[in-house]
Amino acid sequence: MAVKQKQIYCRPSLCIGCRICANACALTHEGTANPRLGRIGIRQNLFERYEYQELCRHCVEPPCLDACMVGCIEKDEETGIVTNDDRCVGCWMCVMVCPYGSMKRNLVKQMAVKCDQCQDLEGPVCVETCPTGALVYEDREDVQEKPFFSGPSVT
Amino acid sequence: MEETRPLCVNAVVNLTDRTVDIVETPEEIIRNFVGGRGLNMYYLYKYLKPQADPLSPDNVLILGSGILTGTLAPNTGRHSVTCKSPESGIIGDSNIGGFLGPEMRFAGFDRLIILGKADKPVYLYLEDGNIEIRDASDYWGLLCSETEARFHYDLGSDVEVQSIGPAGENLVRFACTRYGVKNAAGRCGTGAVWGSKNLKAVVARGNRGLPVADPQGMINKYIELRDYLKESKVINVLGRVGTPLLYDVSNYLGAIRTHNSQQTVFFDTLNAEEVHKHVEKMIGCYGCVVHCRHRNTLGGEGPEYTTEVLLGANIGVADTARMIDLNNIVNDLGLDVSSTGTYLAWAIELFEKGYLNEETAGRVLRFGDYDMAKKLIYDIAYRKGLGDTLAEGSRLVQKFGPETADFLIAIKGLPQSDPHDVRYLKGFALGIATSSRGADHLRSRPTLEILDLPVSFTTQLYGEPVDPNPTSYETKSTVVHFSETIYAVVDCMGICKFVCHGFNSPRNLNYDHFRELTRLATGLEFSKEELKKVGRRVIDQERLINYQEKGISRKDDTLPARYFDDPMPSARAKGSHIDREGFNKMLDEYYDLAGWDRDGMLPRERIEELNRLRDLTDK
Repeated sequence: MAVKQKQIYCRPSLCIGCRICANACALTHEGTANPRLGRIGIRQNLFERYEYQELCRHCVEPPCLDACMVGCIEKDEETGIVTNDDRCVGCWMCVMVCPYGSMKRNLVKQMAVKCDQCQDLEGPVCVETCPTGALVYEDREDVQEKPFFSGPSVT
Repeated sequence: MEETRPLCVNAVVNLTDRTVDIVETPEEIIRNFVGGRGLNMYYLYKYLKPQADPLSPDNVLILGSGILTGTLAPNTGRHSVTCKSPESGIIGDSNIGGFLGPEMRFAGFDRLIILGKADKPVYLYLEDGNIEIRDASDYWGLLCSETEARFHYDLGSDVEVQSIGPAGENLVRFACTRYGVKNAAGRCGTGAVWGSKNLKAVVARGNRGLPVADPQGMINKYIELRDYLKESKVINVLGRVGTPLLYDVSNYLGAIRTHNSQQTVFFDTLNAEEVHKHVEKMIGCYGCVVHCRHRNTLGGEGPEYTTEVLLGANIGVADTARMIDLNNIVNDLGLDVSSTGTYLAWAIELFEKGYLNEETAGRVLRFGDYDMAKKLIYDIAYRKGLGDTLAEGSRLVQKFGPETADFLIAIKGLPQSDPHDVRYLKGFALGIATSSRGADHLRSRPTLEILDLPVSFTTQLYGEPVDPNPTSYETKSTVVHFSETIYAVVDCMGICKFVCHGFNSPRNLNYDHFRELTRLATGLEFSKEELKKVGRRVIDQERLINYQEKGISRKDDTLPARYFDDPMPSARAKGSHIDREGFNKMLDEYYDLAGWDRDGMLPRERIEELNRLRDLTDK
């Protein structure tokens, strides 16, 4: 049963590929600058001419949760937010199964990192820092009841 | 596992011996030169053998990020590429946006100092504290876009690549190095130096975090500055249409370089709204809040104001799509747009005046001939026929006769980059005449005076009353002095000039912002006066290298003869030219402000200071 959840959405035509969102995310969660350490990522190809925002959808049936062999990924039943913790052993199975490219690797710590919608803060820092308003954090009415994607599952 | 790392890590890469040494910059040097362009100049002075041939292994090639590059501070995607210029024979220094500068820092290196020459094509691969000199024979000969796409295919799509195209490989003296589709370290022929060292590309992938002294403070400051910058009118317009917005303004004034500055007005077809019909989306560089880059519908990026004039009006191509096409071709070949456009127009005038004919040029050269221009651009990059000759750039003055220098729009051997004919704006004229790398607007561009600002405001801005009349010779040296100092500091920071105080707007980021951002990023405290002194020190360092390499002095701080002798022919600026007497007076005042003697020489104490700093040893 889907929970109506406030989500981070992107309006891709406004995304300029500056990676400020990812860098601010890294500064917030890791205390150092580097967009690669952000929980959100901007995948840009200047020759194929696209900007793709790797956003965690906090899936109703998260493939990452199913794939995690140590069970360190959880979905909060109340808020719907999917989180992981530092029991991660860096097997990257969650990274492989995420259909949106939203599980990130911290290659220095050898741990997967993922978006927690900045639940300890007032709102997601990526949304707050986006210079063009491409990212929004909102309740949308038109969200499908049924999951759009129910991915590979081990159950 | 918290990472700590020194403030400035330099990798000295010797391509001849295939060795890499890591040196840290001592804090005293950082306090004196900060980073980016400043530290690059310091290391150029330290490592360059005097009078070295720019295309020999003795030249030193430096890629250096600014002290704020890669942090969350707004528009900090920039690094400087520095060497001795094969085009002008003096300092070659070019600032580039995109993503490579930050990525180098994430990979653990703030600066690459590249010496020697590889025996066959190589590229540098930087990842997490390691540098590998790898074989690049598979990539040699490819266009810039092909090179980068190939690296993405071979090494993964997340690597950042800066490379040279065929022009750099063929040692065209005004070849550039390129990141992505259009970001370029364009000026001064840095690409030819890469080519001469057999260096095809620098590829980086950085997984390490860059330490920021106060992360939360930085986020808050970023949000504050973003909101402040977003209120700026000019930043909003730049984000909507990019630099072509300036075309209409200059054209209305009658100051667009047209037909090699023989004319000064051109067609409306190059106006921003016409250009924008070919634009798909505006995008930004790393950490950008402006987004002035066009993704055009013809398969490339751009055009900038510079391109649309130098590959449009200056060679007489009025068709918007054709001009954009030339822009895309030049970008892909790895040529500097400003120099290419200036030399093309110069060659056409040489043809008109009989220095070249159909036999020696291989074809008829005339203004407005798109097909000819296109062929000639390819010929320059691949050094064929007349293109091979033109690839030698401003050195050709010796070949065609000293009088041909009178109609080459270049200073100190470097063609003028700004499309604005400076005969009307006297301060601008002084700026390009005194610029350390040759005729260039990014060193001091003092164009605020055209905005007709109230005197009370400009007095506060420049610290003393300034004549608001743009055609007056009075007090313009103050304006140039102010601008060149702050721009030098901006280049040391690694910030884009579009968000800098005094470039397009009298507001935006100034010394106080830089101080604050530097403190948040590194913990280093600078006072406003210290930063200004850094700016002056960097300019003096450049002057000293220029003197050492080519004896640059007052005789070189001048303008193309056309700007003195020929009055502007059209529109509001009609009749304007630069008066030699007025110009000399401005120059005297400029030297006085800089603390140089009337021949443009540094005082002895300054030379001793720079030599003392040079002789300090790295850790």
